[in-house]
Amino acid sequence: MTWQTFAFIIVAGFAFTYAGLKVKVLLDLMRKQQGKGPKLDRIPERIVASIANVFGQSAVNQKQPIGFIHTVIFWGFLIISIGTVEQFLSTLYSGWGLEFIGNTAYSILVRVQDYFTTAILFAVAYAFYRRLVIKPAGLTRSNDANIVLTFTGGLMVAILFMNVFMILAHHPYYADAMPVSNELARFFNGMNPETAEVWFTVFKWIHMLLVLGFSMYIPSSKHLHILAAGPNSFLKKLDREKAMKPIDFTNESLTQYGAAKITDLNWKDDLDLYSCTECGRCEDLCPAWNTGKPLSPKKLIIDLKANLYRNKERILAGKYDEIEPIIDGNITEDVIWACTSCRACEVACPVFIEQTDKIYDIRRNLVMMESKFPAEVQTVFKNMETNASPWAFAASDRANWSDGLEVKTLSEVADATALDVLLWVGCAGSFDDRNKKVLRSFVSLLKKADVKFAILGNEEQCTGDPARRIGNEYLFQTLATANIENLNRYNVKKIVTACPHCFNTLKNEYKDFGGTYEVIHHSQYISQMIREGKLKPANTLDAKVTFHDSCYLGRWNNVYDEPRAVLESVPGVTFVEMKNHHDQSMCCGAGGGRMWMEEKIGKRVNITRTEQALDTGASIIAAACPFCMTMMNDGLKSKEKQDTVKIMDIAELMDQATN
Amino acid sequence: MNIYVCIKQVPDTETKIKLNADSSGIDTAGIKWILSPFDEFAVEEALRVKEKNAGSTVTVISAGPTRVVDSIRTALAMGCDNGIHVELPESADNAMAAKALAGALKKEAQVDLVFTGKEAIDDGAAQTSALIAEGMGIPCVTVVLGIEYSATAVKCKREVEGGAFEMVEAPLPVLIAAQKGLNEPRYASLPNIMKAKKKEVKSLKAADVAVTDGDQKIRFKNFQLPPPKQSGKKVPGEIPAAAKELVRLLHEEAKVV
Repeated sequence: MTWQTFAFIIVAGFAFTYAGLKVKVLLDLMRKQQGKGPKLDRIPERIVASIANVFGQSAVNQKQPIGFIHTVIFWGFLIISIGTVEQFLSTLYSGWGLEFIGNTAYSILVRVQDYFTTAILFAVAYAFYRRLVIKPAGLTRSNDANIVLTFTGGLMVAILFMNVFMILAHHPYYADAMPVSNELARFFNGMNPETAEVWFTVFKWIHMLLVLGFSMYIPSSKHLHILAAGPNSFLKKLDREKAMKPIDFTNESLTQYGAAKITDLNWKDDLDLYSCTECGRCEDLCPAWNTGKPLSPKKLIIDLKANLYRNKERILAGKYDEIEPIIDGNITEDVIWACTSCRACEVACPVFIEQTDKIYDIRRNLVMMESKFPAEVQTVFKNMETNASPWAFAASDRANWSDGLEVKTLSEVADATALDVLLWVGCAGSFDDRNKKVLRSFVSLLKKADVKFAILGNEEQCTGDPARRIGNEYLFQTLATANIENLNRYNVKKIVTACPHCFNTLKNEYKDFGGTYEVIHHSQYISQMIREGKLKPANTLDAKVTFHDSCYLGRWNNVYDEPRAVLESVPGVTFVEMKNHHDQSMCCGAGGGRMWMEEKIGKRVNITRTEQALDTGASIIAAACPFCMTMMNDGLKSKEKQDTVKIMDIAELMDQATN
Repeated sequence: MNIYVCIKQVPDTETKIKLNADSSGIDTAGIKWILSPFDEFAVEEALRVKEKNAGSTVTVISAGPTRVVDSIRTALAMGCDNGIHVELPESADNAMAAKALAGALKKEAQVDLVFTGKEAIDDGAAQTSALIAEGMGIPCVTVVLGIEYSATAVKCKREVEGGAFEMVEAPLPVLIAAQKGLNEPRYASLPNIMKAKKKEVKSLKAADVAVTDGDQKIRFKNFQLPPPKQSGKKVPGEIPAAAKELVRLLHEEAKVV
């Protein structure tokens, strides 16, 4: 055994044991989580998705130029790691190497490594420049990040010098395959091979010690993402559509609803926390953060991780009673209530952290366990409990919006199979004066296209979406089961609705409670009626029109094209996009139950979004969601633009355009 | 402390009131019943006193048809410990209800505090609280906005006509009728809702509290709905002429000037 082998075994043994134990603690913390984690399904799809996201770096490359820079470092790291493994093994078994793959292949490998080493150095230089000079908003500029970059840069420098001195000492046959190192070697021309050999050994050890030191450093650094982000992209929700996790209230052994303590979250939540690189992309489009609210999705994740680490000993010792609550000086109740559940953070996150899931869990505890929520919400809950609507209206008045339209109810039709579709009106369509007009326009369109439809009338109840988003899962399930019972009793198979919140709940969330339906948003239905020639837009509307994406239609359900197709089919319309649109759109501020909460902190979200709409110079802002309409309408009034700019639902525009 | 809350179940505030076939009362079909909002302040106050005085119990009592048990459960879910239901007919008036509630309270070993709402939002009579106190022979403070407690007495801030307040002191046991503003009623937590489902509600018959038909002092003969609300009228034209027309309308049509 050479001294090198001996030393390496001791040093590497120590480093890997140290790092391994640290990683084991992280895994133990995951195992100790009380919440129910996701189930693994659709494995082949997961493999494909994670290959695209890890090796293809597709999510990382959503943002440039840093996406490209990251891709260079990532691929360089992979390729160079082959050399690192070779180096480690050759230190263990003297003389072992990868040369057995053949001269040509080996030369190519060495060449690629040489190029990547250089490329990573430039990438690291850019990353430092970005951190120290550009200082992008959102990016956490921590010492941790600087240490990680120093390690990465230091490793590359060590490799280059190691190769330089290897060339000078050994003149290996593949020296020509290291053009950069070869070039650098010129600076040391004339050095005698013995001196070069010593320097080679020095830099080899510097490199090896840096790798080992780095591996010891990583588990407690944000650089942990190199271990966590891969599994996280394998475990991510495969579909953009998602349902909130149901709670089984029949399970009497369940005594904690939602997350009061960090351990009430699940193991996948921990993996999310481990994956965060503090890049801040989640903040870029966060309607709360960008209007001066205390919620930053990034800070929430960092604070949750800090809470997890702070309580580490107590969690591992099983002392659950002593674990500090999640709500503290950092994660205040205002932080938790600021979220509009728009999912801009989730769309932006390059490592697939699901920030909103944590917020829902924390809200559930606040509402159901501690009865703590903004005071104005209590009335909303009570209205939903007694009259099945967040607004205070008698349930018996639910169908009044349709007076004079001769719309049949399902109780008159008896069986929904005789119909083309059930029209789900929703509370806004039933009770809000502005949105009643939208429903009347949509009914007019259905009649023009000879669609056989009916409504539930007074039997319809709020889907429960506001209760669920605010954290009152119990109330949500009460409403959901009542609705599902009605829908199933009438054999309902196909539902159309003008409300994206109802749409999302009926389509994605009722499944978990025995309600499986084909659910279509009215934008999709209108677009289909146009395609099939049942609606013929003939009346010209000479106007510049922009469209405001509803989060529950767009980011929650990937419906972007149909509302735009409807608008573009109107003769005379000039369609313009806002600066932020499609999945980069900005929330109106009403989602996540915010519709029913006062907005006391910062600038109002709806005003910010209205300003973006006004910037387009459009005279009509088209919407496809009752809450967006209310928020944007209020925005127009605040900007005193209600006389020059109108907000209209796409159904209203199409009703005007057709005869 | 042994704390009691007398509550009434009333139709939800959004209910569209309809009359029954012979107009002798309202049609209760399809009505959503709730705990009268003023009684929520009473329940909340009782719970706050309990929380400050270890070992206290809060018992909620309601008199009426079987449906009122739901409202007793609502109060139990907010955190009350026990429930008592005195079964009375739908037609029971304030006098009968008060006698039944006082009767039930008198059966209890020790009563320190009784809370009620200042009135129920259905008949708005504000009679029952005073009648209960009378039946029990204890003092009664109504329309209360703030309470200071001592071991033997309460000091209450009560609202009087004209936006003024008065401070009233009374020895225990005492009945206090809560006004809006006394507190912010809590929203029942889910564990408490679950627990409330299992709590026992003691059931008493009218006879158990010596209530007979004769205790009903009011018999309702006929109900009428108020005339439907007219939509607003805009008086057009130049201001002097419009003012003249407005006065004419107020005088001749509305008959208010």
